[in-house]
Amino acid sequence: MVGALLASAILLISTVFVRRRGTLVPGRFQSLIELPIEWLAGVVKGTGGKRWAEFAGLVIAIFLFVLVANMIGLLPGVGVIGTVVETEHGEQELIPLVRAAAADLNFTLGLALISFVAFVAWGIRANGLGGYLKELLIAEPAYMTPLLTPIHIISELSRLISLSMRLFGNVFAGEVLLAVILSLVPLLVPIVFLGLELIFGFVQALVFALLTMTYITLAIAEHRQHGTGDAHPGEAPDHSEASPAPSRA
Amino acid sequence: MEFQLLAAGLAIGLGTIGPGIGIGIGFSKAMEAIGRNPEASGTLFVPYILGLALTEAMAIYALVIGLILIFAVS
Repeated sequence: MVGALLASAILLISTVFVRRRGTLVPGRFQSLIELPIEWLAGVVKGTGGKRWAEFAGLVIAIFLFVLVANMIGLLPGVGVIGTVVETEHGEQELIPLVRAAAADLNFTLGLALISFVAFVAWGIRANGLGGYLKELLIAEPAYMTPLLTPIHIISELSRLISLSMRLFGNVFAGEVLLAVILSLVPLLVPIVFLGLELIFGFVQALVFALLTMTYITLAIAEHRQHGTGDAHPGEAPDHSEASPAPSRA
Repeated sequence: MEFQLLAAGLAIGLGTIGPGIGIGIGFSKAMEAIGRNPEASGTLFVPYILGLALTEAMAIYALVIGLILIFAVS
């Protein structure tokens, strides 16, 4: 939790700094801050559809927050300095003062809840409550409803689980990997894995933000797209069987 | 308890086979596409990352089952 607070503190301070000293022609520090924002805004503009500007702020905020939180988790001293507590089994356990924020399921689940509420709310706002419920509960060929509706609901809810678990799993597995490598080969080799973790931290922040954006875009654009999606597999085998067959022969 | 650990190991071990193959296929196709059309690398990046994330979710489910087996089932 301290890690998450630190991340938001860093973001807030840099925001205030840039707002105070912001110039039209950015200096070095200002362009460092503006670079990821402008890049991600371009990505959201390219794939977010007509109403991209409404949710670009949320996507960029999630990206920056997760990115800074992941980077804090890689700093030396994080996850190592803390108090030692005795557990009920008599073993000693270290409770670190600051640890990688996303290695805690509460953090990622909270972020995933924000994203979940956002895309449900945008779906309701775009299609109306009736439209959203109709989309969720009634399948396109009406006789398929009993079969498809549970799948629909489960897939909506599994977005929440997969969003939170993906970030948690990646960061947690990264921490475990670093610890194992450190205990096996303490010299030089961990540097390679630290570099790997830098890339993973970036990619996971990007993935979280982009998936949020994709879900919101899908929720806004859902005008019976699922019905055509159901119809497609019927004609798809023609194409998919036609192309691999010559290459096999 | 020993079988629990074995089950967790099997869950993550077997569970990563499929996503591994899937990510490999996706990556090889992306590289192929960039090789044919190097200017497309910018537009390919975001869909590729998204596909990678969705494929990887399967491995994450296996990880979750493994963690549940180790920590939650007593």
